[in-house]
Amino acid sequence: MTVYKYFIKVALKNKWIIIMYITIFFVMTLLNSTDAMKREESFVETRLNIGIIDKSMSELSSGLREYLEKENNIVDILEDEEYIKEQIFLEIADAVIIIPEDFDQKVVNKKEAILIYKDDRKPQALQIENQVNKFLAFANITYKDGRFELEDVKEALNESVEVQLLSSGDSYARTGVDSWFRFYYKFTGYVIIGVYIAIIGLVMSDFRDKNVDNRRKISSKRFLDFNKEMYLGQLTLAAAVTAVFIVASMLIMGKKLGEVYYIKYLVNLIVFSFSILCLTFLISNITRNKYAITALSTVLSLGTSFISGVMVPQELLGDKVLAIAKFFPMYYFVKINDSMIKSLLEVRYELFMQLLFAVVFLLIGLIFSKRAQKA
Amino acid sequence: MKEMIVKVKNVVKRYSEKLALDHFNMEVKEGEILGLLGPNGCGKTTAINCILSLLNFDKGEIQLFGQKMTPNSYDIKRQIGLVPQEVSVFENLTVRENIDYFCGLYVDDKNTRRRYVDEAIEFVGLKDYVKYYPKKLSGGLKRRLNIACGIVHKPKLIFLDEPTVAVDAQSRNFILEGIRKLNQEGSTIIYTTHYLEEAEMLCSRIIIMDNGKDLVSGTTEELKAMITTSEKIVVSFLSLEDEMIDSMHKIPHVVDIEKKGEDLIIKFENGNNNLSNLISFITEHKLTYRKLYSQLPTLNDVFLELTGRELRD
Ligand SMILES: Nc1ncnc2c1ncn2[C@@H]1O[C@H](COP(=O)(O)OP(=O)(O)OP(=O)(O)O)[C@@H](O)[C@H]1O
Ligand SMILES: [Mg+2]
Repeated sequence: MTVYKYFIKVALKNKWIIIMYITIFFVMTLLNSTDAMKREESFVETRLNIGIIDKSMSELSSGLREYLEKENNIVDILEDEEYIKEQIFLEIADAVIIIPEDFDQKVVNKKEAILIYKDDRKPQALQIENQVNKFLAFANITYKDGRFELEDVKEALNESVEVQLLSSGDSYARTGVDSWFRFYYKFTGYVIIGVYIAIIGLVMSDFRDKNVDNRRKISSKRFLDFNKEMYLGQLTLAAAVTAVFIVASMLIMGKKLGEVYYIKYLVNLIVFSFSILCLTFLISNITRNKYAITALSTVLSLGTSFISGVMVPQELLGDKVLAIAKFFPMYYFVKINDSMIKSLLEVRYELFMQLLFAVVFLLIGLIFSKRAQKA
Repeated sequence: MKEMIVKVKNVVKRYSEKLALDHFNMEVKEGEILGLLGPNGCGKTTAINCILSLLNFDKGEIQLFGQKMTPNSYDIKRQIGLVPQEVSVFENLTVRENIDYFCGLYVDDKNTRRRYVDEAIEFVGLKDYVKYYPKKLSGGLKRRLNIACGIVHKPKLIFLDEPTVAVDAQSRNFILEGIRKLNQEGSTIIYTTHYLEEAEMLCSRIIIMDNGKDLVSGTTEELKAMITTSEKIVVSFLSLEDEMIDSMHKIPHVVDIEKKGEDLIIKFENGNNNLSNLISFITEHKLTYRKLYSQLPTLNDVFLELTGRELRD
C-alpha cells in the first residue's frame, strides 16, 4: 500500500489549497446563516418593492392589486423577461407579479393563476407568494354564481392578519432552516469541483510525470495494483472532503436536521461528489500540465457554479445560460438542492443525469488513458 | 563460467525518421561493469530504454537473465534497477520519502523497506539531508538522490545512465566509488557515459557506440590493441621547418604526424625502439626541443581511428 500511502501524502502537501477553499466556504456559510436568522425576525413588518403587470384588468385583479399595494411599495416595471430578471438581480424589485389575461378563469378552475418572479436569496420574497395565495384562497371561498365578493375578501384579509401571523410563524422558521441547508449544500458543489480538480489533478500529475512514471514502469509493481491504489487514494480524499461537509452541517444545524428533508441533501451531495470524481479522472487523463489543472479547477468551479445557479438562483438566469448549464452535472445538483420534495423519487431524473455524466466522464477518461498507454 | 545476463541482438529502433539504434548488439556477463561509451545522441539512452521495455523497438531480440523481456516480466523487473539520465523524483516529497516510495514499488514489507532505505541513504551519503526537498539540494546531491532511488531495492543488475553529468569533482568521485562498491557487493553494472576517463577508470569492459551501432567491445587494453597506433610521442620544438616534418615520416613505424599548437604529436605503430629512433633523428638534425614525452594511446585515439572523429570530454 505504499502507493496509496504516498498518494495521500502528496495530496496533503497541497493542503493549502484545501484549507483555502474550505475557509472560503465556511466564511460564506457563516455570513449566510446570520443573514438567515435576521430574516426570521424581520419578516413580519417588511414592506417589499414589487412590480405588478396586470394583463387581466378585471375586478378581481384590481382587488389583488389594491391589496398588494397596501402591503408593499410598488415599482414601475416593463413586461420583458430579461428586464424583470435584471431588476430583481439588481435588487430594484424584490418580486414581480404578472397577472394573466385569463386570470379570473384560472382562479375559478384553481389553476396556477399568477406568475411570480422573485429572488430566492431573500426569504421575504416568500411573503409575496403568501400574500397572493391568501388573497386567492379567500377569493375562491367567496366565489358564487360567477361572481367574487371582493368586499368580503377585503374584510377577511384585514381580520386574518393576526391569525396569519401566529400560524405562519412556524412555517416561516422552517423555511429559514431549509434555506440555510439549501445555501450550504449548494456551495459545497463549488468547493468540491475546486478541491477535487486541484488536489487530485495535481497529485496525479506528480505521479504521471514521465520520469517518475518510468521508474514505476520498470519496477515490479503491477500496473493494475498501482492503479487500484491510486483510485483508492482518490476515493479516500473525496470521501474525506464530503464527510467534512456533512459532519460540519450536522454540527452547525444538528438540532434542526429533523425540520428538513435531510436525506435529499445527503444523497445529492454524494452522487454529485462521485460525478466530479469521475470528471477529475477525465481531466487527469487529458493533461499533466499543472497550470492547466489549476486553471481548470478555478474556471470550472466558479464558472459552473455561476451558470448553474449556486451564486444566483436558477430562476434569475436566462434560458440560454441554463441551456448551457444543463451540459454539466452542477445544474442537476443545484436543481435537487432547490427542490421542495418529499421523496427522492421526485428528483430521480436529476440524480440519473448526474450519474450519467459520471459514466460519460469515466468512459472518455478511459479512452484517453488507453491512448496514452499506447503512445 | 559466469552467466550472460543481458543479451541484445540486432536491435533496430526508429523514431519517425531518425534511426536511433541500428542493429545494436550487446552482451553483459554477471559481475561485469560494462561501459557503454559514445558521443551525445549516439543512442545510449535509447538502448537502455529498449532493454527495459520502456520503448518498443522495431526489430531484434532482447533477453535478460535468459528470458525474453516484456513490459509484464515482473520477475525480471524485480532484479533490475535504473538510475535514469534525468533526475526523476517527486518534487513534493522529501529525500527520505522519495527513496521510500520507490523502494515500495518493489518491497512490501515495512521493516525490510525501512532497512533498505536507511542503507541507501547511508550509501549515497544523504544522511544529513533526509528531510530536504529535492529543489533544496545541490546538483550533485540531487544526482545522489537519483541514484539512491534506483538502487534502494538492491537489484542484481543496475543501469546507470550518465550519472555523473554536470556533477562536481567531489560528488563525481563519490559516485564512481559507490558504483565500484555496488559491483563488489555482487551487482552487475551497465554504465553509459561520454567521459573517456570514467569509462577507462571504472569499467571492466567497454562497448564503443556511434550512430546507433556498437563498434567494438573489449577491455581498455584490448581496445587499444585493436588500433594501428600503439604509441604517441609529443615533442615541442623551438623551431621547425615543414620539410623537417616530411622527413620525419621516414622514421620507422611512424603512421601519422599531427601539429597541435606548439606540440607535434608523432604516432607510431607497433614496433621497437620508437623513442630512441626519434631521438637519433633529433640529434642527427641538430634540433632543439623544450619537452618530449611518450604516451600510450587513449580511448579517444581508438574512437578517432574507428570513426574519423574525436570523442572529446
Ligand atoms: N523521443 C524521441 N523522438 C525522436 N528522436 C529522439 C527521441 N529520443 C531520442 N531521439 C534521438 O535519437 C538519438 C539517440 O538519442 P539518445 O537519447 O538515445 O542518445 P544518447 O546517446 O543517450 O545521448 P546523450 O549522451 O546526449 O544522453 C538522438 O539523435 C536523439 O535526437
Ligand atoms: Mg542519454
